[in-house]
Amino acid sequence: MEFFLQQLVNGITLGGVYALVALGYTMVYGIIQLINFAHGEIYAAGGYMGVILISWLFAQGFPPFVCLGAALVLAMGYCALLAMAVEKLAYQPLRQSSRLSVLLSALGMSIFLQNGLMLTQGVYDRAYPTEMVQGGFELGTVMISYMQCIIVGVTALLLVALNVLVYKTRIGKAMRATAQDKTMSALVGINSSRIISLTFAIGAGLAAAAGIMVGLYYGSVRYDMGFVPGIKAFSAAVLGGIGNITGAMLGGLLIGMIEVFAAGYISSEYKDVFAFIILIAVLYFMPTGIMGENVDDTRV
Amino acid sequence: MATLELSEISVRFGGLQALTDVSFCVREGDIVGLIGPNGAGKTTVFNVITGVYQTSAGQVRYDGTPLRALRPHKILALGVARTFQNIRLFQNMTALENVMVAQHCRTRVGVLGAVLRLPSQKREEERIRQRSLEALEFMDLGEFAGELASNMAYGLQRRLEIARALATEPKTILLDEPAAGLNPAESRDLMHTIGRISELGINILMVEHDMKVVMGICRHIVVLDHGVMIAEGKPEEIQRDPRVIEAYLGNELN
Amino acid sequence: MKRALYLLSVLLLASFVVAGCGKKDEKAADAAKAGIKIGSLGPLTGQYAADGNDIKNGVLAAIEVMNPEMGALGPVTLQAEDDACDPRQAVAAANKLINEKATAVIGAYCSSATIPASEPLIAAKIFMITPASTNEKVTERGMPYMFRTCGRDDDQSKAAVKFMTDQLKAKNVYIVDDKTTYSQGLADNVEKLAGGAGLKVLGHEHVNQGDKDYSAVLTKVKAAKPDVFYVSLQNSASAAPMLIQIARMGIKTHILAQDAVYHPQLMELAKKDAEGVFLTFGYTDKETPSYKKFAAAYKKYGEPGAYSAYSYDSTVAYLKAVKAAGSTDPEKVKAELMKLEFDGASKHIKYKENGDSGSNYVIQVVKDGKFTNYWNPETGELFK
Repeated sequence: MEFFLQQLVNGITLGGVYALVALGYTMVYGIIQLINFAHGEIYAAGGYMGVILISWLFAQGFPPFVCLGAALVLAMGYCALLAMAVEKLAYQPLRQSSRLSVLLSALGMSIFLQNGLMLTQGVYDRAYPTEMVQGGFELGTVMISYMQCIIVGVTALLLVALNVLVYKTRIGKAMRATAQDKTMSALVGINSSRIISLTFAIGAGLAAAAGIMVGLYYGSVRYDMGFVPGIKAFSAAVLGGIGNITGAMLGGLLIGMIEVFAAGYISSEYKDVFAFIILIAVLYFMPTGIMGENVDDTRV
Repeated sequence: MATLELSEISVRFGGLQALTDVSFCVREGDIVGLIGPNGAGKTTVFNVITGVYQTSAGQVRYDGTPLRALRPHKILALGVARTFQNIRLFQNMTALENVMVAQHCRTRVGVLGAVLRLPSQKREEERIRQRSLEALEFMDLGEFAGELASNMAYGLQRRLEIARALATEPKTILLDEPAAGLNPAESRDLMHTIGRISELGINILMVEHDMKVVMGICRHIVVLDHGVMIAEGKPEEIQRDPRVIEAYLGNELN
Repeated sequence: MKRALYLLSVLLLASFVVAGCGKKDEKAADAAKAGIKIGSLGPLTGQYAADGNDIKNGVLAAIEVMNPEMGALGPVTLQAEDDACDPRQAVAAANKLINEKATAVIGAYCSSATIPASEPLIAAKIFMITPASTNEKVTERGMPYMFRTCGRDDDQSKAAVKFMTDQLKAKNVYIVDDKTTYSQGLADNVEKLAGGAGLKVLGHEHVNQGDKDYSAVLTKVKAAKPDVFYVSLQNSASAAPMLIQIARMGIKTHILAQDAVYHPQLMELAKKDAEGVFLTFGYTDKETPSYKKFAAAYKKYGEPGAYSAYSYDSTVAYLKAVKAAGSTDPEKVKAELMKLEFDGASKHIKYKENGDSGSNYVIQVVKDGKFTNYWNPETGELFK
């Protein structure tokens, strides 16, 4: 039981991070049917922006929560702008082209950004000041570190904020409308270009936050850190039902849980295999994912 | 003064000439009917006006402003709203949300304000809500505000589309076959509603197959056949026009 | 407005490359004509980049020291190739070095890259001297031009097991590896030897190369409460998050790692969580004149990594043999290399018939942020 609970805590932490990254994939796919390969790199850029800001702020003697808060806000902002720039330069000019062209453009962007990170930040791992947040507490026999609390807390906060934005505000309504029917939403007065740009920005902001928390949790970042979590997060989005925001959150948590439990009860070396077996099994019985797809497939 | 003015519009898709030299006006206070057999190009006219299609030649002006280079949301902001022949509601949203989303271009607060729930955002959200409820009431949909669009009856969905178009605060509204699929009682209600919309000072251009509806409320009628305007005039003139009769009943005459 | 937006976008993306342009292209400096061309092979990018660059830098330091001595045979130049620790890329890089007429290749890092890359190299009569690949198979395939300056995993695992039983008095051990030829080979050896030494293996888990989340495995380890946790990972960048998570989970046990995690990066990343970690590592006396000569030449590349000195020695050994032979003719150089005996920076170097140079593993410990000699399995005594 103790083992189970400990793995549960680990799974929630990992799953939360996947969920944050998965949202960016799902939102972008939902709105323009693009698998944004560059999303993993945005997450890595967030991790790097975080290490630069946190190291500097921490060295200036600011308290940990100030460092973390400021770094989160600034890195999220930076990555939002970066993603908007990517969209404007690499995807928007191809809006009328075939989906394959945009997909290739996304692949190219991913390579460009990853190599850019390598050139500017070097090939070595970059250390986060992990001494900033240390220790933890035992809940019964389950060990919970403060870092895990922060990750779960920030993730929950961001997910709630996203839900408020999407379901309770006019901008959220415009986003949902654009995802359902781009032409129609333009005809009720929504600037779809702006909404698409905004969707990229929001997804990137969430990914940046995930990048920072992963960096703090594992202690370091590297230029190629975006690749594997990117694939896992995309799988999570598909598992939950691509285009579906609730689905991405659920899918992220599930993939995290499956990985941790497969590693805990079966074998670490097969954890990815299990994650993907479950993905395939779910898609076999529920081709549109657990929560159902939500994609604009209408044409004028 | 003409509000909406089409002059010599031509649209071509590859080798297909969809519209040829179509010219007509929708003036202040007008209810204009656009009729013609299937495939005459009526919906294409709507798509040209709302910026979904680009014209190959000719000019659409609204209050003197050329619409050619404008994207759909800009044209809407000028005051031209439309509904669709095959209903295109946001199926996963409630009736109220469908209407609220239509006020997007009339509101301002940005993302940050929205996430942080600033007072200005709350006030604005409340105002949108009030206006949307009014639009629903106007279309007798008040009691369905919380209903998912996909769960509503067909006739109600038609009315909701009109409510959504009205919520954009248009000066001109384009209705694409509003009576399609309605029973006679619903059609009569619809005619009444269109009259009320006109009384609000909104100009109306409608495509309609139901001749009872067209002849009953339109003050001016434009007839298209194979992308060409074949007649224009008052309802009673159109009913007598031999070219119109031929276009509709051509085969039987021969 | 629109134009401004585009400009801003371009600027943002440019922020990704501008800083990189200032860096000097090292290739330009290497582009000399005749002389001796030495290739280096190792992961210059990817997760093992730190170790690959150490190898390259070791060769550069050796070339700098040896160049004045080479006379008419010189100058010696380096062609550094990136194998990304990937078997396919390693073979491609080896073929490139053959085309570029390198006469010796120092590398590679991962045993899983060294073994396939050695096939075309040796067939082309090019020397391959690995400063880092410790898997036994590297030198056990009867390849005439394959040499190894570092130790062997079978010796390394013996030292590890001896340390656990004799010094730590451990009764049981939990083993984790990340499935590379090197790391799993070592872990399997330890598991095999443990039985004979009365050491109970509580579990042997595998994680994936490049994983950063070890929480699931560590939860198992915590429950098993082993006397020693034997962590066999491919490099320091994988080991650092492991150590951080061990500390975070509150696992209190002896941790024993191996030579691959020897890198200043380990302390940089894991900080105080690296304290007290044991590792098996080839003994190097840092007070000898040859080590000091190496340290001086290496200074500009930063702190030496695990294989910097081995890489330096490998290069020096080859160049000494070339000098003695008076040409780069493979047969002659091989004869000289077999005769060669000298005090290298890392250890006393004398190649055996199979190409090995002997192992001298000791136990080191991380103390005050430094790798410190701790216990000598030869004598069974602590270092002073």
